[in-house]
Amino acid sequence: MNTYILGIESSCDETSMSIVKNGREEIATIVLTQMDVHAHYGGVVPEIASRMHIENITLVLESLLQKANMKVEEIDAIAVTYGPGLVGSLLVGVEAAKTLSYIYNKPLVPVHHIAGHIYANALEEEMKFPLIALVVSGGHTELIYMKEDYSFQKIGGTVDDAVGEAYDKVARVLSLSYPGGPKIDALALQGKDSYPLPLPMNDSTYDFSFSGLKSAVININHNEKQRGNSIIKEDLACSFQNRVTKILSKKTKHALESYHVKNLIVAGGVAASRGLRESLSKMTSEIGVSIHFPSMKYCTDNAAMIAAAGYFAYKLGHRADLTLNASANASLNGGK
Amino acid sequence: MIYLLLDTSSTNLIVSLAMDDKILYFYKCEDIIEHSTVLLKEIDIGLKHNKLSISDIGTIFVVNGPGSFTGLRVGVTLAKVLAYALKIKIIPISSLEWMATTEFNGDYIVPYIDARRGYIYAGMYDKNLQSIIKDQYISITECINFLPKASKITFVGNTSVKGIETFIKSEENVISIIKKHKSDEGMNPHLVNPNYLKRVEAEERLHDSQNT
Repeated sequence: MNTYILGIESSCDETSMSIVKNGREEIATIVLTQMDVHAHYGGVVPEIASRMHIENITLVLESLLQKANMKVEEIDAIAVTYGPGLVGSLLVGVEAAKTLSYIYNKPLVPVHHIAGHIYANALEEEMKFPLIALVVSGGHTELIYMKEDYSFQKIGGTVDDAVGEAYDKVARVLSLSYPGGPKIDALALQGKDSYPLPLPMNDSTYDFSFSGLKSAVININHNEKQRGNSIIKEDLACSFQNRVTKILSKKTKHALESYHVKNLIVAGGVAASRGLRESLSKMTSEIGVSIHFPSMKYCTDNAAMIAAAGYFAYKLGHRADLTLNASANASLNGGK
Repeated sequence: MIYLLLDTSSTNLIVSLAMDDKILYFYKCEDIIEHSTVLLKEIDIGLKHNKLSISDIGTIFVVNGPGSFTGLRVGVTLAKVLAYALKIKIIPISSLEWMATTEFNGDYIVPYIDARRGYIYAGMYDKNLQSIIKDQYISITECINFLPKASKITFVGNTSVKGIETFIKSEENVISIIKKHKSDEGMNPHLVNPNYLKRVEAEERLHDSQNT
């Protein structure tokens, strides 16, 4: 028997809903992004994001049902991102999910946003366990060990800025418009590694720190300007990206070896970076680990990944009731 | 006709069910911090208490602001999803008009909500809930100077603010809202949104910088 999950995601600036069959097959997805609006402000403005989610929520639902040619009655369960993220944004998705669950008497499945990013991989190929997941996005930088389906052990994460956040801040220094991450990636390909930047938090832990690296970029930019020199953007982008990919690869390798894991999953918006893909692919091929990147459309925030993760959570009996609330700092550990 | 009224515009949370002009259920809780954990549960309790189901509701009145941004988001999201899914009539109600259903003596009632930093959201209504001065975001001083001096005015609020010495606490009346608005044309649920009466600060700064 087939199981259809309706996924709802609104943790940042994308209002998205999706229907996924058996956790693997995407029936239809709608993603309404607010990126153009937030670009005016150089970053996501939480209050604006939240206001726009409310304006769009029923429109996204209507478009989804039309595209899937399905009714909510035909769905088996409703999965929703309850955290982490911007609380005002999360609330809209959570409230919509609870309301639909109540009206149609469907089970409500709470999904952690990071679990969603990881399970984006299930939409394209079967996930093999045990695995290490490296989740890299504007809000997250985490190494997670998964012994089996839906078991999450966070083994490391950033102690300050998320990697995508560092990309965006460095992009601002280089006067690149928001979102700057993809632009840095493109510039880096044309530049050479000529600026002396530190390799941040180069130790034996699985944790990351990107705020010092970001400050070093700001300082170089400032000092060169003081001296009347202009910055070679391509080179600074390349130097910055090289440090980021080097430390991410190094610690991921350390995790793969220590946990004796032969599968690496990379997820989140920064997984789209060509520089990072190259560096990680090279590392994994050297140590004989198979590496999996979701397609671009599943790297950024979307509800298909929430419905996919929701399917596995649903099968394990995870349920929330009408009192479910948004949780800005929800932690991913154990099974939830 | 079964009516559902939701108010999450402040730290008060109100859920009411009515059949025609009879109140079936009225839940009011003060000092709510997390509207989201309470609202749907209270609707469920109200319905069950009256042996009704969610699909029996024919019209939703949703208090859509001004007021607490977070509170409004919970109530309005729930209401618009409900109206969209059940294909029922949805009518947004001003939070100030809703407060103006409180019984009072005198000519006019001025409902207000503390908007902090010396500002309030306020409007002026008569006994028939007609808006005499439109709802607005205004400084308390300006509001007081603006009010007609010759009339007898009653302030209604839920918290005291500096500059308004005497006020009565709001005692909202669902039946007044039903009587006044039951024949209103419903809104397209997609277009029902909170009426914040205040732009986001970042928007104001952007707007100002573009105009200078």
